[in-house]
Amino acid sequence: MINKDLYRELMDLMGFMITSARGLLDEPHLYGPFRLIDGASKLCAIMENKVKVDNDFLERLRSKIDEGKFSVMTDVDTFKSMLDEVVLDFTKKLKGL
Amino acid sequence: MELEQAIFGRRSVRKFKEKSVGKTELESLIKAAIWAPTAGNHQPWAFICLTDQEMIHKINTVAPGLFGNPKAIICVCLDHKKTIKKVDKEGREVSNPFGYWDCAMATQNILLRAYDLGLGSCVIASFNPDAVRELLEAPRYFEPLMLIILGYPDQDPKAPPRKTNVIFWGKYTDKGE
Repeated sequence: MINKDLYRELMDLMGFMITSARGLLDEPHLYGPFRLIDGASKLCAIMENKVKVDNDFLERLRSKIDEGKFSVMTDVDTFKSMLDEVVLDFTKKLKGL
Repeated sequence: MELEQAIFGRRSVRKFKEKSVGKTELESLIKAAIWAPTAGNHQPWAFICLTDQEMIHKINTVAPGLFGNPKAIICVCLDHKKTIKKVDKEGREVSNPFGYWDCAMATQNILLRAYDLGLGSCVIASFNPDAVRELLEAPRYFEPLMLIILGYPDQDPKAPPRKTNVIFWGKYTDKGE
């Protein structure tokens, strides 16, 4: 069965990834990690809405990303700490899968 | 609103209330834009105004730097047919970069006028110009330079610190103010 909503949301994510890939050739190098983690946040949102497995974890992960991602423009150390935390949170979850 | 208040009070806003932005407000913004100075009075700009949420969603898909939920977007385009031309080393006639600066000055007028009207705004440069041009069905000689996202603010961002050592009196020294 075709899920049109899911299709549209994944197409949006694909558009984000494709245009990011092109744009990053000309953009500051810090935009690379920023786009990747922003993409992870978008993927969390899609999984929360459409997969609906482990939403508590996904919401926490997405909140942490969204609250910290803009620090890339003002405070790289804070941005790096946020990424370190997100990596650890994800890995702990991965261990239990 | 006093000019000083607009200059120092304006912030980049990325989170907006549900209230829509009307045609009257957008016309007011464009009126401010077209009174910006331009090289040789060429006025080489074009402004494509968007309020349709489906189109805004599609623009968002090809604009990785666009965050939040804008209620309107102004796409600031450089119209290469209206720019001052110069001749390059091969003798070809090409656009002069003045047009980019002209559009930037028009954009600043939009941002200040938006603040004056109680609107939040943010300039987005991280987007794919070819994709945006395709979605907007704009001609090849329109170069989308900036997306200005607009809406009634739902956040009050803190002002980031200003960089120092940018003023030099009389001549350059290694100690600017």
